Amino acid sequence: MHFKTLLKVSCFILLCLFVMPAMAQNLTVTGKITDSKDGSPIPGVSVLVKGTSTGTVTDVNGNFKIAAPSTGTLVITYIGYDRKEVRVSSAPMNISLSPNATQLNEVAVVSIGYGTARKKDLTGAVENIGSKNFNQGAIINPVDQLAGKVAGLVITQPGGDPNQNASVRLRGQSSLKGGLNPLIVVDGMILDDPNQFQNIPPDDIASYDVLKDASAAAIYGARGANGVIIVTTKKGQAGKAVVTYDGLVGTSSQSKYYDLLSAADLRSAVPNLGALDKGANTDWQKAITRTAYQQRHTVSISGGNNNSNYIASANYSNQQGIVLNSGKEQLGLRFFGETKAIDNRLDIKMGLENVATTRSLIDYANFSYMYNSPPTYPVTNPDGSYYAYSDFNEANPVEHIQESYFKNYEYLTLINGSLDFNITNDLKIGGTAAITRNNVQEHGYIPTFPLEGNVNQAGQATENTNSYKTNAHINYDKTFGKSTLNVLAAYEYNDYFYSNYLAKGQQYITDNLDNNLGSGNSLYNVISSDKQEFKIISYFARVAYNYDNRFYVTGTIRRDGTTKTGLNDIWGNFPSFDVAYRFKKDLFANVEWLDDIKIRAGYGVTGNIDAIGAYTSYALVGPQNPYFDAVTGSYPFSYAPVQQENENLKWEERKGRNIGLDFSLFNGRLSGNMNYFNDKTTNLLSDYAIPEPPAIFNTVLANVGSMTNKGFELALSGEIVKGSKFNWTANGQISFINTKIDNLSGTYQIGTNTYAVNATQIPVGYAQGRGLSSNPITFLKPGYSPYVFFLPHYTGVDASGNQTFDGQTIAQNPNPAGHYIDPSPKFSYGITNSFDYGNWTLSFALRGVYGQKVFDNTLLDVATVTRLPGNNVTKEALTNGIKDAPVASDLWLENASFLRLDNMALGYSFKNVSFASNLRVFLAGNNIFVITKYKGLDPEVKTENAAGGSLLFGNNLNGATNQAYIDANYGGQAYYPRVRVFTIGINATLK
Amino acid sequence: MIIACTVTLIGGISQSCTNLNKKVYAVVPVGNFYQTPDQIAAGVAPAYTALQNLPDGNVMQMNEITSDEMVVPTRGNDWYDGGQWQGLWLHKFKPDVFVDGGWTDLTKGIGEVNFILNILNGLPNKPSNIANIVAELKVVRAYSIYQMMDMFGNIPLVTDFNTDPSKVTQSDRATVYAFLENELTTNIPLLSTTVDKTTYGRATQYFGYMLLAKLYMNAQVYTGTPQWAKAIAALNQVINSGKYILQPNYFDNFSITNDGSSENIFVVPFDKVHIGGMNWEMQTLHYSNNLTYGLTGQPWNGFCATADVYNKYDASDARRAQFLVGQQYEADGKTPLQDPQANLPVIFDPNITSLSDASGLFRMAGARNIKYHPEAGTAGNQSNDGVVFRLADAYLMRAEASMRNGDAASALADVNKIRERAGVADWTAGDLTLPHLLDERSRELMWEGWRRQDLIRFEVADGVTYFTGARTPAKTADGDTHTFVFPIPAPEILANPNLHQNPGY
Repeated sequence: MHFKTLLKVSCFILLCLFVMPAMAQNLTVTGKITDSKDGSPIPGVSVLVKGTSTGTVTDVNGNFKIAAPSTGTLVITYIGYDRKEVRVSSAPMNISLSPNATQLNEVAVVSIGYGTARKKDLTGAVENIGSKNFNQGAIINPVDQLAGKVAGLVITQPGGDPNQNASVRLRGQSSLKGGLNPLIVVDGMILDDPNQFQNIPPDDIASYDVLKDASAAAIYGARGANGVIIVTTKKGQAGKAVVTYDGLVGTSSQSKYYDLLSAADLRSAVPNLGALDKGANTDWQKAITRTAYQQRHTVSISGGNNNSNYIASANYSNQQGIVLNSGKEQLGLRFFGETKAIDNRLDIKMGLENVATTRSLIDYANFSYMYNSPPTYPVTNPDGSYYAYSDFNEANPVEHIQESYFKNYEYLTLINGSLDFNITNDLKIGGTAAITRNNVQEHGYIPTFPLEGNVNQAGQATENTNSYKTNAHINYDKTFGKSTLNVLAAYEYNDYFYSNYLAKGQQYITDNLDNNLGSGNSLYNVISSDKQEFKIISYFARVAYNYDNRFYVTGTIRRDGTTKTGLNDIWGNFPSFDVAYRFKKDLFANVEWLDDIKIRAGYGVTGNIDAIGAYTSYALVGPQNPYFDAVTGSYPFSYAPVQQENENLKWEERKGRNIGLDFSLFNGRLSGNMNYFNDKTTNLLSDYAIPEPPAIFNTVLANVGSMTNKGFELALSGEIVKGSKFNWTANGQISFINTKIDNLSGTYQIGTNTYAVNATQIPVGYAQGRGLSSNPITFLKPGYSPYVFFLPHYTGVDASGNQTFDGQTIAQNPNPAGHYIDPSPKFSYGITNSFDYGNWTLSFALRGVYGQKVFDNTLLDVATVTRLPGNNVTKEALTNGIKDAPVASDLWLENASFLRLDNMALGYSFKNVSFASNLRVFLAGNNIFVITKYKGLDPEVKTENAAGGSLLFGNNLNGATNQAYIDANYGGQAYYPRVRVFTIGINATLK
Repeated sequence: MIIACTVTLIGGISQSCTNLNKKVYAVVPVGNFYQTPDQIAAGVAPAYTALQNLPDGNVMQMNEITSDEMVVPTRGNDWYDGGQWQGLWLHKFKPDVFVDGGWTDLTKGIGEVNFILNILNGLPNKPSNIANIVAELKVVRAYSIYQMMDMFGNIPLVTDFNTDPSKVTQSDRATVYAFLENELTTNIPLLSTTVDKTTYGRATQYFGYMLLAKLYMNAQVYTGTPQWAKAIAALNQVINSGKYILQPNYFDNFSITNDGSSENIFVVPFDKVHIGGMNWEMQTLHYSNNLTYGLTGQPWNGFCATADVYNKYDASDARRAQFLVGQQYEADGKTPLQDPQANLPVIFDPNITSLSDASGLFRMAGARNIKYHPEAGTAGNQSNDGVVFRLADAYLMRAEASMRNGDAASALADVNKIRERAGVADWTAGDLTLPHLLDERSRELMWEGWRRQDLIRFEVADGVTYFTGARTPAKTADGDTHTFVFPIPAPEILANPNLHQNPGY
């Protein structure tokens, strides 16, 4: 953002110096030039009378005054915007300029990690998305702003829970056990956990730069294997103080429901309901949900002068979940300031962000209760109290949701500062320091429910994830004749701490003693705590050289050392090498329609050490199951090894090759890029089976096996219609990614012994529900993509309604043979269109995935007639002919290809408003429709296995344990329904 | 301020810039532990805690559901679970994750002891009673090795922690038999003969002799040669020690406070607060039975017994009360228990005609066993300690060995001790037959994890298809006797390609 301003200001100055004095004319024309996207005034725009050398430039408010013949034409040009010709008019002329979309923009600057580069000089696969292209309206996680916008970047928000973490995949999956989300770097600071990004207010973000290929990400070394997303927050600009307000309010509603039997349906399906019929007619899906409201407000004040700038912003948001009692409330404060001293040679920056988030979580077991409860049961008794009932995995979900509470209070503080000093014009030294503190306080209470016989429970827990990071760097940037050299060398030190403690109890004599945890049955009081620390120390360097803006070479090397890996592999090297050639000048100098064209090739090595815990490498003992000491009647802890140590653990290594082509045609009207990559990840970390004994664990975390990610990405951007009043631009991207496990065999070492593992397949995901325990259905298997399904083939039912699999019933063959089915998508794509007409803008973003399959575990459980009469079923259960117990088969593995209208926004900009230089109102919709054959609630589910959850109450809260390509986790029936959201909002910049 | 920060940080960097030493906070490096007597006691304890999965886990289920005593039918949508429960009953054993659960529960006990022995062996200052500690550990380990050999036949016999895993191969039953006989006879004399709180839940000499007796009782199955006299000698060591008496009330051996039993020789202690894993009440009781017993969660309505089993008891047999049949009631003893989902009264019917039935009535199929009495205020994780060896089993084993060894009079005296305690008439010499003895073992040791072994032993000794024969419901006769051992679990063959699958699988 601020670079653009800098350029605007410099152009303005240059033009002031060189534009000829105005000649005598017969008409004085006045006008104002604004940005067509947001209506903001543009200073320094060149306004020229066509066919003459008469011209002027706009002032800081975008106004101009020029003498011109009444029949003349004005030519308006400005770097970064499309040229425009306008007939002279005597009335004040309001002229809007459209930013030009050229991908090889001469001036655009992108972050490449520990520095920036001009877009045209990039040698790696890096994509930049500015705030003007963000998805608008309601979002759960700021990365949702990017969904569908970047080829190769797949962002999945699994369900409508405002507290769910997004799954972000850049160029597929390259780890089986480690984190899969790209590294997120905010203003130069690597977030300790990519999920912390969920707590950053979305309105604070100015742009994203996505480092896609291994050579671009290699500067992040042992943590770069999943790619890198660099986030730049909004900054102040030189000029008078600017106050902005961005706000929206909206409503969300569930976008799809299962077709469960109504009470009338149940009564006709089961004529003799007897005691099961309580005379009610309850739609439990609707009973636990609501129309949810949300609001978001951000106020910022920013400004600066030639030597300094600042921005301070405050953000408040409150996002209700559609499920009762769930939601997220957030208050954020941010400050960023920069100032220069010592003849502008010293540059000091400081950023401070503090976000307090309050989450109201719900127990996902309530979704099972919702599906299981008969529609003939009421929610409440006539006197208003809850109607209580209880059966296996069944209770009143409304009561459970409303009467329990699970709150998380999260406090994220990011503090960073930097100093840079220009020793000479070419040589700069600097240092940065950053402190991150993330404190999560959990507080939960489960009351005694009448008739259920359960005991009440309460607990509080605190988790701290803190880090201290610093770096020291030297930059040398020099141009010699046609050669430009940029050199960076740096040292970095990162120290990470994690700690927690919790206390919980049960059997409180009255409710509301959850703030007096020790007052329950002291036998059941629990205390626990943990603390861990690890460090990463790095040295790295980058050399970028270009000759004549035509030939480019970039090389980087990073050396990372960490306490996480085994003692034998502390240090690792991560190099990269890129070349690029802009060949318009040499080969197509005379081709007018070709503006620019560049070919790139790169090779890089990145790593992933997420799968290795702080102490996984070491032989440690810790408290294990208690034993009984009959003499004292006590239960001391036994002490035993806590893990199978492996002193030879090291990072997974992704070796990536990428070739790419960037182009701009027809004066920027059509631009785009394409990339082909072929990456191989070796030393895959997973838990491999080992013989026990002699081992005392049956798996060891080891670096064994390899996998391949290959893909092709194409992104196009076009200005389809360009006129004085009407503009239509379109962006589209598509990516084909093929991920395959090559092998899971290899050797590992413990101590000095070398052992072999040869895993033909490792079970990962399970079908869940009653009668479905120990039922693995997805596997890691060489030759297939991760989480390949292995399922019996459903071949209809026999005369008695028994399911057959390859022609045989379960009675004939209790163990039907499985077949491998690859669930991974063939390609994913996104299309964004935006239209400007006068003051109106309309944009819509479509996003889709083709060839994906999802296992509909909810239907497997619920579309089963044998659940009647006690548990409700879908209408399909009455008609699908299946009369026997559920069996996980390919019948439930559904085509989950989809096309979603992700985002649509209609905006109107008011011009010439007395109090605001920019005033825009908009109406936005999110998830307006989805076209899919998938029969479940929504085809987007998590595509990796992630663990997590609440320290206090296990994994059911917030649906923390998800299964790849399987729609639900807890009891097979816990998918927080996706929502459709409509918002209205305002963006205002006050005068 | 920023300058000050940076200066401080740069100063700090020079101190620590390449320091990658780890710091451990909440756990202890192996080398720093096992220093004090308390640490050694806590470090030896895993030999016992590793047994906590055995009395009520996959090992028990594999030894009972494959026999006539326990069946887990598929009730509506419940208890299909990939066919694993039906497969056990039908003897269609798969080398699946369930069978692997039994394998790993046993190898845990072996591996932990190997680890501890290795640590003790390397201690610079060994405790004065090191020989006794080592002997106790070896005898405890022998229990897991024995169970593994009994269930899986050809097993890896690994007793040294430092064994190269890639060199581990299988040993046949005869080899493991010889190892165990030597291991036990060598180490038993070093164990304690004290039977009081100091040895509760720990291996005494009598634990060792009971294990040795089990080995000898089944010697014919393992080696082809019976060892009845040796079995009697081992059992005499237990019975004649006078340290144990038959508990007058059979159920005192299994109650929530069964640590007071004078009959139990070895138990795995459980506790509702501290040591979880005894889930008997959840596994067998009907969903609604929480209202009967004051449980804090709903049971799972799984394990039950057929009429063939239930009808083995005389009406006067005190032991029959371990089974629930007929109408069940709420805690007041008056309100008939309902199954709200099936909309039927809860009337347990031991007549099970099918292995899978979706009808509401079938939810009530099978007699339920509350030998380990449910504990109010729990939902699983009961406090009843899990019984492994008890005196009644010693009497019944000695009776069988005596009879097979030609001493019917001794056999009759031993059996009648058990029958008298149960409140049923003494047997006459004419009643004392091997089939009757096998039934008496079932009545006495119901669901205690020995039935599979007993059926196989009697089948081998007497040539009657007690184990491999047909059974109601649905089980047909096995084609051959490969089902005497379970398949080697597939995950274990994956982990160690040296392992060969058992014949017939």
